[in-house]
Amino acid sequence: MCHFPQRSSVWSFPKLCSISWRFYHTSTAHKCSCSKTVSDEKYQDPFQLGRKDLKNLYEDIKKELLVSTAELREMCEYYFDGKGKAFRPMIVVLMARACNIHHSNSREVQASQRSVAIIAEMIHTASLVHDDVIDDANSRRGKMTVNQIWGERKAVLAGDFILSAASLALARIGNTTIISVLTQVIEDLVRGEFLQLGSKENENERFAHYLEKTFKKTASLIANSCKAVSILGCPDPKVHEIAYQYGKNVGIAFQLIDDVLDFTSSADHLGKPAAADLKLGLATGPVLFACRQFPEMNAMIMRRFSKPGDVERARKYVLQSDGVQQTTYLAQRYCHEATREISKLRPSPEREALIQLTEMVLMRDK
Amino acid sequence: MWRALLRRGGRGGGRRGLSGGGPPSAAPWSQVVSEAEKIVGYPTSFMSLRCLLSDELSNIAMQVRKLVGTKHPLLDTARGFVYDSRNNLQMRGLVVLLISKAAGPSTAELSFQHNMVSGIYSSQRSLAEITELIHTAFLVHRGIVNIGELKSCDGPLKDMQFGNKMAVLSGDFLLANACTSLAQLQNTKVVELISSAIGDLVQGIYYENSRSSENCLTDDIRISTWKEQVFLSHSALLAKSCQAAMELAKHSTEIQDMAFRYGKHMSMSHKLHSDLQPFVKESSSDTMAFSLNCAPAVLHQEFLGRDAWIKQIREAQGKGNLMDYKKVSKSHLNLLFFLILYVIFSRLLLTVETSLFKPLYACIHGEKKREWLVLLLDLKSH
Repeated sequence: MCHFPQRSSVWSFPKLCSISWRFYHTSTAHKCSCSKTVSDEKYQDPFQLGRKDLKNLYEDIKKELLVSTAELREMCEYYFDGKGKAFRPMIVVLMARACNIHHSNSREVQASQRSVAIIAEMIHTASLVHDDVIDDANSRRGKMTVNQIWGERKAVLAGDFILSAASLALARIGNTTIISVLTQVIEDLVRGEFLQLGSKENENERFAHYLEKTFKKTASLIANSCKAVSILGCPDPKVHEIAYQYGKNVGIAFQLIDDVLDFTSSADHLGKPAAADLKLGLATGPVLFACRQFPEMNAMIMRRFSKPGDVERARKYVLQSDGVQQTTYLAQRYCHEATREISKLRPSPEREALIQLTEMVLMRDK
Repeated sequence: MWRALLRRGGRGGGRRGLSGGGPPSAAPWSQVVSEAEKIVGYPTSFMSLRCLLSDELSNIAMQVRKLVGTKHPLLDTARGFVYDSRNNLQMRGLVVLLISKAAGPSTAELSFQHNMVSGIYSSQRSLAEITELIHTAFLVHRGIVNIGELKSCDGPLKDMQFGNKMAVLSGDFLLANACTSLAQLQNTKVVELISSAIGDLVQGIYYENSRSSENCLTDDIRISTWKEQVFLSHSALLAKSCQAAMELAKHSTEIQDMAFRYGKHMSMSHKLHSDLQPFVKESSSDTMAFSLNCAPAVLHQEFLGRDAWIKQIREAQGKGNLMDYKKVSKSHLNLLFFLILYVIFSRLLLTVETSLFKPLYACIHGEKKREWLVLLLDLKSH
């Protein structure tokens, strides 16, 4: 009963890949001769490198959230407890250094670049708080969600407050270009949520729709924050583009792996319930790939897994199919592209760390 | 043009005494609004509804139809947009436009006057729209329900969850649009002002929420605290938008401060006016509901002392007749009515350049209040 990729369908994998490349890349798809640029720098743990800059990240975020009402402050600070991965600020800070070095050999992170890292994390958290209300989620990062503890009304307000604080911090940087770049993220996040609401009937459109949603919901924040720090660090538009492309590719890969983990990992390990996407009616990468091998999944996708037993059946199909492998392979391709882009910058420990980071994205288990 | 507006407002009223007198023959509210709209050369109704034409919100609109028949508050908010034009939902935008035009171009930046249409810069028009977007976004976000507090009489859980989802998404969409338009203004000071206004609004709504969720019927707050909290929830947005409009035209800090104070007092008086409605309407329907945390009640509590007030409430509750709440405080209310207005407007008049803002006062709605204002203005000029 195995359907191999050679089945003549418009949905064969090489074509799929080229659709996704075409969608997102202006450069022509080429054979990945991604030999990692070898440098003399030793293996750099990205988290070690960025640690100093991010040491006070959460404290600084809390300073932005100064509000007189104790409960509102408690809600806003709830996720800034230092237990999150701080993945996004990490990338931002490393990118800032890499761009600064590329431009002027200075390793110092400017105050404004550090602000961008803070703002990025705040925007991300604000969207998480709202997403939990929208999805009626009970737990995140191993603890109860804000809406679970304080109710939905206050949770929405807390999210709005964090966003307004981020916007205020953004304005204080004093650079209208940076404001435009990061405001784009806010718009993309909301549009991404809307994309998730709708669904496409056509199988072909579905994958492009999925990738667009992934970009808007996850990659846009990383891409635009990388771009923002590169603008602050270096006047060359080519560097801005490199930073943006790195962020975009890493971001998409990150989300693809996230979608894979939803199938392969257990709830305890993830810190949030597994098969969450299916339960929300979302057809992610592994599902879309599995659907080629098991066309009976089409009906389930269309009704958003609403019938009892759909979620379990879909899960089984996915695990039986090569959906997980295909999605992982796609993520690898995005990571290679990210590496290719960042390698255009002048060598530095930070550049190596960013390359290392793409490996970490692929290998994470939560 | 300004004089005509003022004359129309004052003509029927004349010098009425404090006792109120007969019905004024001043222009009705809707006429004042359309005059104002003509002045700014731009129909301001449905300003924020323009973005409702977008795909995203058309999608939402279709989905919100599923909420018909449920008890989710989002339905009321949506209904309000379409049907309730008298509720001056678009007032903030109109005020921002009027104040922009009233202030005119600053002497500092003569070069960029060519950007004006009907005496208003396109950036100021954009700001007026942003103000409406933010106000609307929070109207929508106020309509979220707490899932944990739902009872079976509220209907199926699914409907409420769905309503919440739509409310969060549409509110976020409006806010995102506001942020994008803000960024396009290319003015960091304005972004700072409006962002802080959003923060104020959140805190204000938070206080509103806290009140309604507690078991005690009314807060133990004095009118000064009431004013602070209501400033946040009802005033900050308009006040800071007015200030921002001046900043966009590069006016001096003095003018910006004036605009801020105008916006603040305008919106505070509006809130007071609406708090007063259940008490001053001479109409036969005595059945208008009011909040026990409205201004007259808070002031009454302050005069009477909290214990006596709580006792009165319990008496009224005991009788089972909610209307007795009104009888309890009505005797004090004529005094309160004039006291509040006098305090607010005398302070306003002392600080504000009346020649600049006189015509705008005429736009403040409510015939009684306008008469009173005209009287105050006349008294001041003599």
